[in-house]
Amino acid sequence: MKRTRVLWGRLSACGGLSARLVWFLERALCPKATALVLSAMVAAAALAQDAPVKNPAAATIPATKKPASTAPDQTQVRGPAPFPSWESLKFTKLKDIKIPKPAEFTLPNGMRLYLLEDHELPIVSGFALVRTGNLFDPKDKIGLAEITGHVMRSGGTEKMTGDQMDVALENVAASVESGIGESSGSVSFSCLKENTPQVLGMFHDVLTQPAFRQDKIDLLKTQLRSEIARRNDEASQVANREFADIVYGRNTPYGWMMQYSDVDNIHRDDLVAFYKRYYFPANVMLAVYGDFSTDQMKDQLTNAFSGWNAEQPPVPKFPEVVRTPAPGVYVGTKTDVTQTFFQVGHLGGEFSDKDYPALAVAGNILGGGFSSRLMQEVREKLGYVYDISAYWGAQFDHPGLFQISGSTQSKHTLDTLEAIERELKRIRTTEVTPEELKTAKDTVLNSFVFLFDRPSKTLNRVMRYKYYGYPDDFIFQFQKAVEHVTREDVLRVAKEYFKPQDLTIVAVGNPADFGAPLTQLGMKVQPIDLTIPEPARAPAAAVTAQTQQQGRELLVQMQKAMGGPDKLAAVRDTSIQATASVEMGGQKMQVQQLSEFVAPSGFRQETTLPFGKMVMFSDGQTGWGATPQGTQNLPPPMLKEIRGELFRDLFTLALSDRDPNRTVSLAGPDTLRIADKDGDSVDLKLDPATHLPASMTYQSTGRTGPVNAEEDFSDWRQVSGLKAPFHIVVKHDGAPYADVTVQKFTVNSGLTADALSQKPTAK
Amino acid sequence: MRLRFLLCAIAPLLAAQSLADFEKRVTEFTLANGMHFIILERHEAPVVSFHSYVNAGAVNDPSGQTGIAHMFEHMAFKGTETIGTKDYPAEKKAMDEVERIYDLYDAERAKGSKANAERLKALQADLKAAEEKADSYVIPNAFPKIIEENGGVGLNAGTGEDATQFFYSLPSNRLELWFLLEAERFYDPVFREFYKERDVVREEIRMRVESNPQGRLVQMLTATAFAAHPYRNGPGGWASDIEHFRVPDAVAFYRKYYVPANITIGIAGDVNPAECKRLAEKYFAVLPKHPLPEDFPTTEPPQDGPKSVQVQSPAQPFAAIVYKRPDDNDKDDPVFDIISEVLSGGRTSWMYTDMVRDKRIALAAGAQSPFPGGKYPNLFLFYLVPNSGHTLEENEKECYAIIERLKTEKVDDETLKRIKTRLRASLIRQLDNNAGLAAELTTAYVEYGDWRKLFTQLDDYDKVTADDIQRVARQYFIPDTRTVAEIVPPRQSSPAPAPAGTGPQGEPSAKGASK
Repeated sequence: MKRTRVLWGRLSACGGLSARLVWFLERALCPKATALVLSAMVAAAALAQDAPVKNPAAATIPATKKPASTAPDQTQVRGPAPFPSWESLKFTKLKDIKIPKPAEFTLPNGMRLYLLEDHELPIVSGFALVRTGNLFDPKDKIGLAEITGHVMRSGGTEKMTGDQMDVALENVAASVESGIGESSGSVSFSCLKENTPQVLGMFHDVLTQPAFRQDKIDLLKTQLRSEIARRNDEASQVANREFADIVYGRNTPYGWMMQYSDVDNIHRDDLVAFYKRYYFPANVMLAVYGDFSTDQMKDQLTNAFSGWNAEQPPVPKFPEVVRTPAPGVYVGTKTDVTQTFFQVGHLGGEFSDKDYPALAVAGNILGGGFSSRLMQEVREKLGYVYDISAYWGAQFDHPGLFQISGSTQSKHTLDTLEAIERELKRIRTTEVTPEELKTAKDTVLNSFVFLFDRPSKTLNRVMRYKYYGYPDDFIFQFQKAVEHVTREDVLRVAKEYFKPQDLTIVAVGNPADFGAPLTQLGMKVQPIDLTIPEPARAPAAAVTAQTQQQGRELLVQMQKAMGGPDKLAAVRDTSIQATASVEMGGQKMQVQQLSEFVAPSGFRQETTLPFGKMVMFSDGQTGWGATPQGTQNLPPPMLKEIRGELFRDLFTLALSDRDPNRTVSLAGPDTLRIADKDGDSVDLKLDPATHLPASMTYQSTGRTGPVNAEEDFSDWRQVSGLKAPFHIVVKHDGAPYADVTVQKFTVNSGLTADALSQKPTAK
Repeated sequence: MRLRFLLCAIAPLLAAQSLADFEKRVTEFTLANGMHFIILERHEAPVVSFHSYVNAGAVNDPSGQTGIAHMFEHMAFKGTETIGTKDYPAEKKAMDEVERIYDLYDAERAKGSKANAERLKALQADLKAAEEKADSYVIPNAFPKIIEENGGVGLNAGTGEDATQFFYSLPSNRLELWFLLEAERFYDPVFREFYKERDVVREEIRMRVESNPQGRLVQMLTATAFAAHPYRNGPGGWASDIEHFRVPDAVAFYRKYYVPANITIGIAGDVNPAECKRLAEKYFAVLPKHPLPEDFPTTEPPQDGPKSVQVQSPAQPFAAIVYKRPDDNDKDDPVFDIISEVLSGGRTSWMYTDMVRDKRIALAAGAQSPFPGGKYPNLFLFYLVPNSGHTLEENEKECYAIIERLKTEKVDDETLKRIKTRLRASLIRQLDNNAGLAAELTTAYVEYGDWRKLFTQLDDYDKVTADDIQRVARQYFIPDTRTVAEIVPPRQSSPAPAPAGTGPQGEPSAKGASK
């Protein structure tokens, strides 16, 4: 009787309505909308949404369905039930909730442990939270995090292939899974108690020594291509995705979408580097819960992970969301639907915002439950929709989405959108009724106990709070704050945070059937391009022994052109004086720059800007920056940028074949790809005539996130027997960024690291 | 391989323990009117889940009224004579007026081409005014609001082919509230805002079927596979029936099927069974005793040749292949469950390893059974989602090869053992979820006559042998009872698109069934 039931619910997508307000707090780890996961389970579920059938025979039944008489007893069942009114019921005080507290430990390698015993079932489960996410995807390799997270498990470990692991785990009804979402990575396991040692071993290996076997990378890439091809099949998915991408911005890590070219562009080296950068003990929180003794489990885990000592610099912050409202109506055309799927809204906020509790209540009154205004007005009164909901979306560390969603018969598209605008206006101009406020608050407060009905729920929540740096008792702070929300608060936050002038309206359906044109909304209407871009060219060749051989041969040509390997190896220090014109926020700025380098990794840069002078120094591991305002240690992202600069120094790049940490390969005609084990990588395109580098492309970090940087080299001149470019044009994502002219270039002038590290004297 | 054997041997023990443990915590009783209760005590947290299982679903929809079970399910949230109204006598009068005008309208429309268009228009206006009048007495959404305000979570209901289910959870100090509300809605449902809700239900069809390529495919699949049995109609009914629903249709359905002996209640959580029994007597005993509805006579005639159907859609290709199988109470039911595990249970399953992992022709492929319901003879379903660059034909061919393998090769012992272990463990994993347990216990009771089936089915699975699998595959997976449904690209030859406003565009054109 194993069943997948075919059920038609009264509520569809907004199931679990009553818990909704609080539920937002529970769902922060969900992957971003652009990540496509179509598994067999999803396909089965889709089928389970069963369908009615057109019955040709019944169509001929005459319209007279029944005699034209309706005696009262045909419409009434039986008179009121002989019960007291529900309002007369008295409830005893609810029993106190037992709130479990996980035991916390930190292992010598920096990994944090959280253990919670729960002996109800003979099961042990756990999950590691890793600070990483697809927000760190390079712009030309969107999907790298997702692929890495997936292949960590499917590609097996050093001890077992993924397929062997499938058999071993399923033999004992256990699971080990891994994945990377928007702002966290995870590896999880679950097993019957008696299999804990065996399953924990596999869990450990997936977390610490994934093998990333090529066949599973290829399998996933095949599947991702199919998912890309299928991504426009369901109008509801299209509306949801496009809304998020437009509101966050299609050129930001929050809003971009994986394309065929990204899939082609991602290789095993990328996965290995991505994994290496983020999976190290100090970056991992491990929670284990279930039927075990805390002391034993602590020892077991301490032993298991004692040999894992990978180290990496701290992981930088996730990129910020840039608020750039995109008001307007965006129409996606699908001709094979009878409904329009809509999404209306703009950026939301964070859980820690002081107004979040009031906004959660406001969102709930607007569209959070059966009693909500949108449900009442648009579904119950107008009958335009089956499903409509609104919520003030918050996230832990970046703005969520304020989102009103649903679907309506095509011909009511305009009517429905207008009704939404009316409701938005109403909640912004008049106070909600005392009853509405009471309903919304009672809904949250009375269902609060369900947040604690299983120990694992508490553990999950507390882990998430810790991961994002929220206080452990945040849920109780929220509860208290909701208790205190007033009608004035709701009106104030609705006015301040719901912004009709910023609304992005996405409508996916058949515009020919819309009934009235959406231009009547008084906003600019523009089409959404749903074509799926084909990859620009054939997939880049993977790194093979052959391409490495070819790469090294080409590099030797470049060494010769630049002055020969001996002269290059003799470089101890360089000093470059340059002027640059830099694009900043739409303005051009003239900059003077002195860059000094002492092998192997001393670097100092003095930049003179119109408003003052900045000095920066790094020894490769640490560094400082001085501005007229004072001196500060450089944050990890800056240090990473400097390491990238040193990696990209042309003289050292030319000698990459002497560095065992680097691989050199041929990436295309006259194009070298040089990568190191830290995840740095550049492509150098050589001038076929001179073998000097004509241009260099790499990933860099711009002001709003990762960018594709390109540098074009020209005006090569002799410097102490070597060749160096005296004119460099830098582009970010194809747009001009900096134009650099070198004025003076000296080599081996006797600079020392000590001298470079001198801080400017304070004024 | 002694070690492996030992590891697997522990799981059966656990399930046996679970059943013994459950026996102690389950209380069953039946009221004099025939309503049955199953109470499971779980005192881990002060919460409780409720599940009302009505043994009537879309299969019981009368001809010309497909979807009425689903429509009633929606109406069961509309309140009673005391919940949801400002003034019931006045409201009742207004609702009767709506019905009176609707009868006149229906009578006029029944004249077909001889109907008076002006009179129809006038009646329509009257109808609208009468509905507005009736609605003016309504306190919208009063029933679910009580539940939401009292901290209810998971409030929902579902209509399937075989049954209709209503469920939610409450903090356990509000136990009596559930008894009162559930008894009241089954004792005295009021069919207010009926015609508006009919529009909502119609919209649900647009969303789930008309605007969803896979929804359309499944619609045509069941319509083609079943010639006579009501499984041919999906759980939602079909659009033109829905558009003609009247209040008396829903009332008649309620009277016939929502009789106490046809309803089973599951309650799981922090409750005292004696208290539950007292409240059950207090609130549900007033439902009058009534004979069970008789079953409908239609049985599906034997299928004597393969059928196929295609749905044109710009969506990517997708296919479903089904074979006829017997109902849930057939002795081979557990064998079908094991077969679907062999085919698509996890990453070691045949369809996954062959089609998805090794040959890479499918993005997803698997099996599902029973489908679309289990009470009557039904279908064993294979679904195929081709990868880009691979065809449906290629996938279907491979699927047939796997079916052939079931018939010719014996499933090895390790695989069988793995599946049985997994089924046991997956039962254990469900045992800490009140809502899931309330649902599973009632379902097992109604479908098999005993909630213990939830546990004893594992013994049935244990008895399944490799020979059984081969025998069942050979007996049932035969071309003569097969139906294949495919999503295919629209025909290219279509002329210029119809101008806007001439009618629905992009409607699926489904070719009829052919042998």
